[in-house]
Amino acid sequence: MVHALSEIQRVLTPDGILIDLRPILDHWHVEVASAREVRETGRVQDFPMGLADDEAANRAMATAESNRWFKRESEEFFPLYYSWDSANEIEEWIHDEWENFIGLGDETKQATRSAWALGDGDSRVRVRVKMLLTRWRKI
Amino acid sequence: MTLFKDPEGNEKKHLHRSVNFNSKRVLEIGCGEGRLMWQYASASSLTIGLDSDKNALRVASIDRPTKLDNKVHFSAAQAEYLPFRKETFDIAVLAWSL
Repeated sequence: MVHALSEIQRVLTPDGILIDLRPILDHWHVEVASAREVRETGRVQDFPMGLADDEAANRAMATAESNRWFKRESEEFFPLYYSWDSANEIEEWIHDEWENFIGLGDETKQATRSAWALGDGDSRVRVRVKMLLTRWRKI
Repeated sequence: MTLFKDPEGNEKKHLHRSVNFNSKRVLEIGCGEGRLMWQYASASSLTIGLDSDKNALRVASIDRPTKLDNKVHFSAAQAEYLPFRKETFDIAVLAWSL
């Protein structure tokens, strides 16, 4: 990662900008949402591999900053939703795509299934992903 | 399975609030199938999408809007060895890839 940041610094013009945009694990919220209401049904479980990835990325940027390759200009968090048609689909997706990084506990699975089954006809199941956007300036 | 990713467009909104892409030369590292790139590339003067996943780049090439044919290009290079001269880009975007 640090080598990649060194390369990015090399190919950027003087005063060039680096945008670091990525999700940050933080026990993301699971919700059942319809046009009428949003109901939180639990939080995801953060797994060690995902947390280690976040740490490694933070360390790489800290190294780039201490090497005076970049200076941090701004940082913000915002929500980004992944949204599925049903409770089954979110379980499938997490199992197939995110299984090393996050999981759903039995209680959250059950609460989500129930809320979706009893919810409005237009109910969808979603995860509120915590996103970090940091703007860096080449030094 | 029907998955909607960021139906509210929060990512695009925050990205454009953070940086002005107008007439800039942009390098996106980890562009994947180009989902994020399509949100800003039309404003740039040139956008290069980099990813080590050749299958993803193939999809990105197919999905690239015709109006961006001359503006958006792809490279299967590794981020650790960028095949570009120094000081080539005004903006670099690390897209879910650090």
